Amino acid sequence: MSEPMSPAAPESSGLEGRLVPGRHGNASGPAGVTLHLCPPRALASVMARRGALEAAVRGVKAGFGLDLPSAPRRVAADATAFAWSGPGQWLAMTTGQTPGAFEQALRKALGASASVVDQSGGRLILRLAGPAARAVLAKTIPLDVHPRAFGPGDAASTLAGHIGVQLWQLDEAPTYEIAVMRSYAASLAQFLLDNSVEFGVEVSGAPPQPP
Amino acid sequence: MTRSQAFRLAAGGFVDRARPLRFTFDGRPMTGYAGDTLASALLANGVRLLGRSFKYHRPRGLLSAGPEEPNALVELRKGARREPNTKATTVELFDGLEAASQNRWPSLRLDLLSLNSALAPLLPAGFYYKTFMWPRALWERLYEPVIRRAAGLGRAADGHDPDHYEQAYAFCDVLVVGAGPAGLAAALAAGRAGARVILCEEDARLGGRLLSEDLEIDGLPAHVWAEEAVRELSGLAGVRIMPRTAVFGVFDGGTYGALERVTDHLPVPPAFAVRQRLWRIVARRTILASGAIERPVAFAGNDRPGVMLAGAVRTYLNRFAVAPGRRLVLFTSSDDGWRTAAAAARAGMEVAAIVDARAAVPPAVMALAPRGATVHLDARVREALGGRALAGVALEAQTGRQRIAADLLAVSGGWNPNFALASHHGARAEWCPHLVGFAPSGAPDGMVVAGAARGMLSLARCLADGWDAGATGSETLGFRPVGARAFSAEDEPSGVSALWHVKGGRAKAFVDLQNDVTVSDVLLAEREGYRSAEHLKRYTTLGMATDQGKTGNVLALGILAETRGAPVPSVGITRFRPPAVPVAIGALAGRHRGREFRPTRLTPTHAWAQSRGAVFVEAGPWLRAQYYPMPGETDWLETVGREVLTVRRSVGFCDVSTLGKIDVQGPDAGLFLDRLYINTFSTLPVGRARYGIMLREDGFVMDDGTTARLAPDRYYVTTTTANAVRVFQHMQFCHQVLWPDLDVQLVSVSDQWAKLSVAGPKARETLRGVVDAGSDLSSEALPHMGVAEISVMDGIAARIFRLSFSGELAFEVAVPAGYGAALAARLMQAGAAFGITPYGTEALGVMRIEKGHIGGNEIDGRTTAADLGLARMMSRKKDFIGRVLAERPALTAPGRMQLVGLRPLAAGARLRAGAHFLAPGAPAHAGNDEGVMTSVAFSPLIGSWIGLGLLKSGPSRLGQRVRAYDPVRGGDVEVEVVQPCFLDPSGERLHV
Amino acid sequence: MRIECPYCGSRDSREFTVLGDARLADRPDAAGPGALGRFVAYLHERDNPAGLHPELWYHGAGCQSWLIVTRDTRTHRIQKVEAARDLPREGALR
Repeated sequence: MSEPMSPAAPESSGLEGRLVPGRHGNASGPAGVTLHLCPPRALASVMARRGALEAAVRGVKAGFGLDLPSAPRRVAADATAFAWSGPGQWLAMTTGQTPGAFEQALRKALGASASVVDQSGGRLILRLAGPAARAVLAKTIPLDVHPRAFGPGDAASTLAGHIGVQLWQLDEAPTYEIAVMRSYAASLAQFLLDNSVEFGVEVSGAPPQPP
Repeated sequence: MTRSQAFRLAAGGFVDRARPLRFTFDGRPMTGYAGDTLASALLANGVRLLGRSFKYHRPRGLLSAGPEEPNALVELRKGARREPNTKATTVELFDGLEAASQNRWPSLRLDLLSLNSALAPLLPAGFYYKTFMWPRALWERLYEPVIRRAAGLGRAADGHDPDHYEQAYAFCDVLVVGAGPAGLAAALAAGRAGARVILCEEDARLGGRLLSEDLEIDGLPAHVWAEEAVRELSGLAGVRIMPRTAVFGVFDGGTYGALERVTDHLPVPPAFAVRQRLWRIVARRTILASGAIERPVAFAGNDRPGVMLAGAVRTYLNRFAVAPGRRLVLFTSSDDGWRTAAAAARAGMEVAAIVDARAAVPPAVMALAPRGATVHLDARVREALGGRALAGVALEAQTGRQRIAADLLAVSGGWNPNFALASHHGARAEWCPHLVGFAPSGAPDGMVVAGAARGMLSLARCLADGWDAGATGSETLGFRPVGARAFSAEDEPSGVSALWHVKGGRAKAFVDLQNDVTVSDVLLAEREGYRSAEHLKRYTTLGMATDQGKTGNVLALGILAETRGAPVPSVGITRFRPPAVPVAIGALAGRHRGREFRPTRLTPTHAWAQSRGAVFVEAGPWLRAQYYPMPGETDWLETVGREVLTVRRSVGFCDVSTLGKIDVQGPDAGLFLDRLYINTFSTLPVGRARYGIMLREDGFVMDDGTTARLAPDRYYVTTTTANAVRVFQHMQFCHQVLWPDLDVQLVSVSDQWAKLSVAGPKARETLRGVVDAGSDLSSEALPHMGVAEISVMDGIAARIFRLSFSGELAFEVAVPAGYGAALAARLMQAGAAFGITPYGTEALGVMRIEKGHIGGNEIDGRTTAADLGLARMMSRKKDFIGRVLAERPALTAPGRMQLVGLRPLAAGARLRAGAHFLAPGAPAHAGNDEGVMTSVAFSPLIGSWIGLGLLKSGPSRLGQRVRAYDPVRGGDVEVEVVQPCFLDPSGERLHV
Repeated sequence: MRIECPYCGSRDSREFTVLGDARLADRPDAAGPGALGRFVAYLHERDNPAGLHPELWYHGAGCQSWLIVTRDTRTHRIQKVEAARDLPREGALR
């Protein structure tokens, strides 16, 4: 993704040398899961003001063409998505704008109906996919991710080991994205790797961006 | 052991004779087959003596063939993988297995510690309580090392466990515990109904008693039926079969703990495989089909190798194709026991006698007696004879006393339903006369008990009951009805009479074989007044060994009841508690051990600091740079001194990203903060920051930090590193619970910002090389406590706060966290001309102590704002959290310990945090305690140690002397009480 | 233990932290005479019921909602879970 924020200063994830591209763990057969660090994307917390939930929903519908979910779901269109993160709260994300521009676009769409806070630097997003992804998640989070219980579009905030995460399912592969506070990302990456080596894990650089 | 596997039957069983496996026991090489347990392989090789008992070092063999085994505990493997107290009956044989007997010296056959047995009259119930009372000094020198060594089990491994363990969650509609006839039928019904089913079986092979019995279901041999059931279950999409998985505990809300022994059956775990996995299974419905455990009978010598439960004999014969002896005597009070005699005869064993304590048995039972076996009714075995192996039995028969030679005595006193898991969470035990045992009454929410676990003791009834539980359970959850189902299977006779104890005989009669509790111990406890079952248990240690008394508990209750002439339920029954099977600490820890014991938070400049050789320190979950040693520096004090002086004379910077950061927005944001802090924020101008103190509701200080106003309806709150999570939770509480009417939105931005504090007289000049053109850092544009949004490093949006913790001209620069490392590198370039240094938490601490700023050591949960010299910050014009209780008498009384500075009178004297203050000349005891030194530092500028402390009426004692007394480290220093601020009290350096 | 979060659904108790008696939601009036006594009672005086007990729990690892969990202290059965922000104030929890 092009992130035209700064030609001069390099941005670092803190995972350099900790999430090393290549095949890890069980080497027989195709890798059970793939694990990537997603390239930086613009993120923002959106919190409806008191009594302004409906106005916020209208604002997002008008500005982004999306229906803000009122339950733990993630809605996406084009490059932009909103993941429910609490009553009247969402994590908004886009691959199409810089953090500053996205924050401005959100403010414009929401007006006085919601508070908007840039979180682009605060979270890293790891993507876990593949036939063994559910088995890895069973060891990672205390949530039921069986297809009958959790499917594409579902989102949840929970604990990975002792680390707070917000995750959502993108497709039936299944593919999951796991957002984590940046300071905890190295520990989370290690936990995911430990839980994945049984199945064989392919760590790669930038995956293609999803909608 | 004249030849290999001399006791192996020629045919039958579920062992693979084409796959021989080599193993050793106490160094002796032997061979078994795939499908064997260690126990069955040892029996096949004629090994009867497997261990020595816990207390008396009595020779012991196998009592059972399953997880209830009390005797046959062995050590497996060697070195760091050595695992003591493993039941030979549950160890799957693998090629290269090394097993050793335990609790013997020097060898299993010649155990000198069996002298304990001769001392038995000195080792009665309650021995420890009676003997090891005094003198106290002997505890560590004599009792523990000598006596405890003699009484014990195996040895723990002597190195770090090299294997991995992990934890996992599973969810299902229907959890079925146990894959015997009832469990398989239940899983089939629920699986066919379409439910998500988890079937847990402790054994590696599914089938339970179906593998041990010679019965038929729907015209098929029972084990074949079991195989077909497993095949069908494996094909059902919603069904997950978990062999080698023991459910060990029942917890609130339908949560179950289970231990999967993933690779215990292999010599070492293959690469990337874990040894064991701890499951938390969340189930909407649970069917407990954990079967029943056969009950032994107490008689003299009943612990002798060769005395075995009758059902276990059938298991060895039918499942493992091993004859546990050549010549059998059966001693029973149940119909079921007779089938052992029939099975033994079929396998070619000699059945010498059937001894039934009952006066009459049904004809169908009598028909089971093999040709040639003498049947003694209304008869009892008085004593099992022999030494390290059974040689014969002494009978008390209608025909008089007699002795019969035998090397195997099969015993059956009936079957106890195994409902320990239901009892973990609410089920009570109910006496069932027809079982002569306890069955469960009720069950935890969502659980039903099925099959033998609730007292169904025939195959036909177990199958029907299991099916019904599975069908009903899944239908209740909304899955399609599968209807009732009849199984064509035998309704075997299962009559039983009470038979607990046979009196007479010379040898000891045991109740709890693992903890060496005898009948006389139980009777002694009764005589000494330990009448309740719970007291009996603790006094005698009955049922407190690793087997939890699975074979002994009900027996002891029966004996007690018989002695009192009272019904068994009047004695009571002890409760079962998790874990139902031993669970290794490693499995409970899972991945969270060593460095991964808990997650580590890394700062945005972590890798950068690492590359500069920083030394790190743990601060809560964080790793922070403590100091940055330079070549040639010999100790940390030298490094920290250099960092401090560089800041004071020129410029340095420190990563302060670990501070908690909270974005507070909304029309009521100012009002909200006014209610949280003792001082006022609604009056703070936009573009300015203010220091704030937050109290707990009880009036003590909770936290401190600066808050900036970014817009009329937007504040940026910072908290201390240590309290970041707590303060955010507290703010959420205040908002959601106390004042939900306020229109305010809170979100943590702790991880959003990398924050570097640039401090020193050259801070402004250094920053000019970092900020983008147009950013004005002058005092006019950005005064002390001023805040601005700027851009740095060619277009990166940043916030700059003119705040100082060090007392120098200082700016906190915040950039999105991903740019923190770049900012650090840029600062090094920009400050190179001034000799800039990064500094760590040590130098940060030195400078804050020099300035007398409070830190975590002073905000210790016992200090008020007044104690810390901040009383005048408390607003009188508003309510705030803690205001009312901060004014209670105890918190405003004179004589409280309050913040002061301390300097040693002798130059160079070292101060230590934790030292207590004493008036000069006062004896050093707690009654004279006048306070405590909270923080100390060596100030390179002052050239002396300095300290902060909480001293009784401190601020009124400036100029006085007190002793800083530190008996733990031998410190005793005379110090002068001074103002807490040691440097630039008027703050001139801030305003450069 | 499982707690049915009204927003997130059934979750493992490790996602939550407990604060205690839900009467902490009824913070007394700081103005007027008797405030000290009211606050001492508010903060320190607790019933210890054998039965239903409304408690404050924080779904910190989930939706960050403060909840009122009504739990039977004898059985740990949870009777109901409500969002604290939705509750009427003024003594409703006593």
